[in-house]
Amino acid sequence: MKTMRLFPLELKRLLQSRLTWLTMALTVLSPVLGLVLYKPATSTTMLSMYLANPAIAGGVAGAILFGLLTIFELDRACRSRVDILTDAVVSPLTTALTRLLALLTAAVLTVGLTMLVWLPISAGLIGSVFTGANYVLAYLLLMGLALPLGVLAAAAAYQFTRRADLSIVLFIAFCALSLTVWASDWQLCWLNPCVWALSDDFSNFRVFRSVAWMRFTWLLTLAGVWTVSYLCIRQYGKGVFGSLARSTRRLYRPVIALALLACSGTAYAAQPFIDRSNPDLTVMSFYEIPYAEGVTFVRRTAQVFPDTDAGTVTGRASYQFQNTSGQEQSVSFGINPGYTISNVKANGADVPFTVSDYQEYNEARLEVTIPAEEEVELTMEYSGFPQESLPTMQGGKELSREYLCLENSALSPRVMNVMPGEAGYPTTIEITLPASMIAIPFSSSEAEVISENEDGTRTWRYEANSAGGILYAGDYICEQIEAGGMTIEFYYGRKHQAVMEAAKAVDAVKEVVDYCTEHYGSLSFGAGETLKLIQSRVAGGGYAVGGASLLDEADFTIANLGNAEKGGGAGEVMIHELVHQWWGLGNMFDTSDSTSPWSAEGLTVYTTYRIVKELYGEDYAREHYIDQWQQTVDDYYLNFYVRNPKYLEMLPEQVQLAISNSLSQVRQYNEMPLKIWKAEQLVGGEEAMDQILHDLFNRELDPMYPYLTYQEFLDACGLTEEDLNLE
Amino acid sequence: MSKIFRYECRRLLWNKFFIGLAVVLLLYGALVLHAVTILGVSHTAPFSPWSFGDYLSRMLPLLWIGMLFFLTFYTSPKARRAAVLMDATPMPPKQYALVRCAAALTGGVLLSLLCMGEAAVFYGRMFGWYGWGSLLLPALATLLPALVFALGSGWLLGQIRPWLVYVWMAVPFLCMALPLPDALGIWNGHFFSKYPLALGTLDPAFSMPAAVLIVQCILLATGIVLLMVRPARSKR
Repeated sequence: MKTMRLFPLELKRLLQSRLTWLTMALTVLSPVLGLVLYKPATSTTMLSMYLANPAIAGGVAGAILFGLLTIFELDRACRSRVDILTDAVVSPLTTALTRLLALLTAAVLTVGLTMLVWLPISAGLIGSVFTGANYVLAYLLLMGLALPLGVLAAAAAYQFTRRADLSIVLFIAFCALSLTVWASDWQLCWLNPCVWALSDDFSNFRVFRSVAWMRFTWLLTLAGVWTVSYLCIRQYGKGVFGSLARSTRRLYRPVIALALLACSGTAYAAQPFIDRSNPDLTVMSFYEIPYAEGVTFVRRTAQVFPDTDAGTVTGRASYQFQNTSGQEQSVSFGINPGYTISNVKANGADVPFTVSDYQEYNEARLEVTIPAEEEVELTMEYSGFPQESLPTMQGGKELSREYLCLENSALSPRVMNVMPGEAGYPTTIEITLPASMIAIPFSSSEAEVISENEDGTRTWRYEANSAGGILYAGDYICEQIEAGGMTIEFYYGRKHQAVMEAAKAVDAVKEVVDYCTEHYGSLSFGAGETLKLIQSRVAGGGYAVGGASLLDEADFTIANLGNAEKGGGAGEVMIHELVHQWWGLGNMFDTSDSTSPWSAEGLTVYTTYRIVKELYGEDYAREHYIDQWQQTVDDYYLNFYVRNPKYLEMLPEQVQLAISNSLSQVRQYNEMPLKIWKAEQLVGGEEAMDQILHDLFNRELDPMYPYLTYQEFLDACGLTEEDLNLE
Repeated sequence: MSKIFRYECRRLLWNKFFIGLAVVLLLYGALVLHAVTILGVSHTAPFSPWSFGDYLSRMLPLLWIGMLFFLTFYTSPKARRAAVLMDATPMPPKQYALVRCAAALTGGVLLSLLCMGEAAVFYGRMFGWYGWGSLLLPALATLLPALVFALGSGWLLGQIRPWLVYVWMAVPFLCMALPLPDALGIWNGHFFSKYPLALGTLDPAFSMPAAVLIVQCILLATGIVLLMVRPARSKR
């Protein structure tokens, strides 16, 4: 009660201090740092640049400023040497609690003030994709909750040490840890949340949930640490341990501290967002599982029910197998590590199953024993919160009323060790979505509405032929574009309609498709006459499969589409991803040798250069492509580890992997395009190279090995490997 | 005097603050070594004098702050109040000031040695490399002028106004943000990353252009001179 009585007095005193107002003013101004200096969100979406970065920077600066203010305020009585007097009047424990509440209230006021000041600025900078929900959530989670964390951490440091200088050093060290060593650990970076991108066109609830979880974990931790430090507040002239012993006489105090710390530990360990996939991306043990003997795939059906409010998925999957082995067989499935499997039955009877602890590429292994019957119908139910693999690039598993993406085992358990039947892997997927969402299978399949439900949802159905499969759904607009002799279905977010129309993105798509069709030929895969072009939620790049290509929304932002340096057309990554339809990802290049520079990227980057040259002129293309390849390749050949591989081998495996991955990318994206460009000079120019590539693209494929090899390319050019040496 | 020196050293180095600073330095050093130095600078080996110099220039802001923090032990309002008593003792003020500065410099040198030791352990563990002799020159060229200049300038500023020492701590960060001339390249780290490329050979031996050398010598000399200066108010 005394605390509540003293609180208004303490708050009034705090708000009368000039230093408090200076701290508040600096905090209100601090989001400007995110516009000019500190930009942790690396994506180029408008919300990343003009909302996430200012909010995170505001949080970092505000937490540090409020932390320092806290230490200054807690040290005030000691500094003025009146602590003996004040302690005699009010218990130091009561004083500490009152001051903490006053400081937290000042922090809340500051966040409110910051949100009011920055509202018109953010709305103006972000433009048509600004929404109030994103603004409020970003400022509350990315900035707002950082301030109480800073206050709690600084107050705890002071209460433990009772020295201002030492507390400042400890507090700054704690902040520095978050900004450096912990910066890439999404659960530890208490000050600067791991947000790499916010989507303009779709929702961001997944990212916000993850940040809220991190903040919640740290609030529990620091509240626990603060409570322990509260028990250490010096009383009756005793030292730290004497005071601790005295304070713990009231048992509920240490119990609260321990409960808070235990809860924080639990929250840390039980986070539902990120899986424990093997970080070594070269290991693909799930692809080495031996096929179940005598078992072939007949059909799969799945009914999927995403809960767009909770962000979870519930589903039922049914698999029909033919088991000619006459024995029980173990069938392996890849499932999303966040899912729980239940009710697994074969021909109506329960069968044993296990889910592995080992995870790889965002999948855990579900093993089910099927009976020794010839026709087996296996059914199972699954539900849970789909987890992601990359903690520093969260958001891919966004699931809301505006957007969802369910890939492979997140859509339904993926069969891993069953041979395809005569019809391959025929699949029927049914998914129930809110009425505002369109279901778009990431393949040549078309989804259709099979029922309109009373609860305002619609059930979609589509047929596919694969063991996995990817489904996008969202509040999309579809444009039909005739280009290159086929129909392009161009899907983009409804929020982006005005921007797309103003930027004439449809014309840009047409130009690229026309160019590739004219120079290399029509696409030979997919639905033949159609190609889906789907704008995804910001994902850091795109990818393509037969009949569909993904485009990252970051290439369509107002800033990117209006970039005069790029000729006023759409981003060049869009061109790159479109070109992958011709020089396809995985479809036409053998990726088994990760050390080889020959991959789909070489020809794709080269073709992108050619299109850019045609669109924006030779000077632009030379400066932004050839000169940059040359510079990067020169650096690559001079790299210490390239010249001295023995030192690379001495490094720990993880470090070795990171360095060799980065070097391998340089070779694929720079060395190989430069070699192809050199080949172009040697074979007699662009027209001759176009003819060679046209012939290679339309060559007769060997069904056993349908890949385009480097040797085939060299043979077609009439060159040898030595001819294309760049050293 | 040696007794006073030992006492001052103990006062500066045997406390929680020094341990905290050392921990922060070591953590930051580990981060720099594992994230940046391990890749090598300007195509040179991670253990080349250039990469090592780059590592030290990245550590320099923290060492600078550490050095100035040591000085706050002598320039804080509390210390100034105690100075009235110290001045009454039969001890030449200049010698006493010199001893205090020597103690602060010892603290700075110890922190620097910690950073260098950490790098040596890193090189030994990662690459089995132990040719530390070649790293002496970049270490001396980078750290000695900076530490002496921090000491001299910080000491003078602390005599004028104690809070100026805290403001002075921001200097290395300012240097990193400003487009400094090449001669001051050590202060924003550009010297170690750009100069070896300008030499036009692979894995060049460590050398410094005259301009950089002169600037470092001037800073060293300025630091020493500033230690001798006593502001007018202080004299009164």
